[in-house]
Amino acid sequence: MKNLLYLLIPVLLISCSTDPQPIDYGQDACDFCDMTIVDRSFSAQAVSKKGKQFKYDAIECMVNDLHDHSEAMAIQQVADFSHPGNMIAVEQALFIVNDSLKSPMGANLAAIKKESSIASPQSADTYYWNDLNAYLLEKDPILGFE
Amino acid sequence: MKKILLFFSLFFFVSTIAAKEIVVCHECDVSSIKRAVELAKSGDTIRIKKGLYKEYEIEIIGKSLTIIGEDYPVIDAEMKGTAFKIKADDFSIEGLHIKNIGTSHTSDNASILVSRSKNFSIKNNRLSNIFFGILLERSENGIIEGNIIRSKARSQANSGNGIHVWHSKELIIEDNDVQGVRDGIYLEFANNCDIINNVCKENLRYGLHFMFSDHNRYLENLFENNGAGVAVMYSKFIEMERNLFRKNWGSASYGLLLKEINDATLKHNIFEDNTIAISADNTNRIDYLENDFISNGYAIRIRGACYKNVFRRNNFLANSFDVAYTGNINENEFSRNYWSDYTGYDLNKDGIGDVPFRPVKLFSYLVNTTPEAIILLRSMFIGLLDFSEKVSPVFTPAELVDPQPQMKKIKW
Repeated sequence: MKNLLYLLIPVLLISCSTDPQPIDYGQDACDFCDMTIVDRSFSAQAVSKKGKQFKYDAIECMVNDLHDHSEAMAIQQVADFSHPGNMIAVEQALFIVNDSLKSPMGANLAAIKKESSIASPQSADTYYWNDLNAYLLEKDPILGFE
Repeated sequence: MKKILLFFSLFFFVSTIAAKEIVVCHECDVSSIKRAVELAKSGDTIRIKKGLYKEYEIEIIGKSLTIIGEDYPVIDAEMKGTAFKIKADDFSIEGLHIKNIGTSHTSDNASILVSRSKNFSIKNNRLSNIFFGILLERSENGIIEGNIIRSKARSQANSGNGIHVWHSKELIIEDNDVQGVRDGIYLEFANNCDIINNVCKENLRYGLHFMFSDHNRYLENLFENNGAGVAVMYSKFIEMERNLFRKNWGSASYGLLLKEINDATLKHNIFEDNTIAISADNTNRIDYLENDFISNGYAIRIRGACYKNVFRRNNFLANSFDVAYTGNINENEFSRNYWSDYTGYDLNKDGIGDVPFRPVKLFSYLVNTTPEAIILLRSMFIGLLDFSEKVSPVFTPAELVDPQPQMKKIKW
């Protein structure tokens, strides 16, 4: 019996892990908009403190979805536009809004690393994570605002 | 339509008066397409003979040209960039074979990029091994017809869309065949477009995808074996008629995804062998008339708030679940459908079952909360459970009922 308990403890620990599961591109569906996640340049994901995984096809989906939830998140990360497939924590990211960025949900939004050489925070169309929320929720393309 | 006719008649008129034709072939005076475009003036025709042309970034700006390929000359972009970049009114491109468009995550390389253009036609081209196929930006009044688009999105997991329309209007997309890209046909902020008789198969994500696009119609298309058939999202006034949705099979797959849709009509569509035929989330005022749902996992799965949807005279044939609901029924109406699961009788022989039919099975609720329960689907216990629920409904919504189930399959 005791042996069984020892066996169970790591299982419980694993199941509560807040490590993000890698997104399975082409298979996983966005938790906000239901679209299949295919684009490695715009995806985003979050893991709640209880270990629940949330995956999004676009950063704007994550912002909108987390706005609807009150659950505390352990991890929030977004795809690095300059290195597709790599994820960066939202605090480390600089968000760019530009018409040429065709993000899946129409916000024209992508993220790059703050210290990246192409990052120029002086430009009017860049945001840090804290400002991004305010910006997106104010002019929300998903709610029909263009 | 009138505008298009006008354009064609105008075009014919112009070309008969000032007709100049530049022939491009390897032995001709002009041996490159770029050179031909430089030499050409508005109204001219460029005729490209059979052969291999290794060219890319062919820019046509402000010239109304007719480009005709004879016997499908091959334009090989050698994975270097966009093949044709066009910003012009009244042009046409037909009969070309464009291939090898390189993938990129920073620029949308396309076979044919059209921006800020009006009155154009892109017909009967073959595009193969491409990133984006035909990409339209801020354009209007065009015809995209008879193009064959092939790529390898499934193996590369990185691909653009076959026909990608952004901020455009009044387009006719007809008789195209798109296979192996991300989304076969993608419309974002595109209004008043007709999408008719296209074939979209084996695409990575969707056969056809609408985002923020209003007043569009898609008719008589075939969507088969895509990641999911069609996604209509955040759009209004969409007409969907006589389409065939087949074999969209997989855990997150469906024939048709409706999300945040208002005022749409679905008529005479056939849904066959899909995991979920229609998944509807936040849809209002949708009319489902005379559609066939055949051998799907779920025929209709309704999630979230859906108001004033009407399901009338549809055939539900041998689906595992006809209707599944999460949340409340909000003024949605089921009437005069044919349900192959209906076991009632018709004593007065008026063709309408005397006992109302409840399309939501208790088991579908269990599966909604515990998806793993699906392995019990054909078990006797579940049969008993569903039967007892049918006799005295406790869990399934009382108002979700078809009061006039048809005894015979509806012919339309």
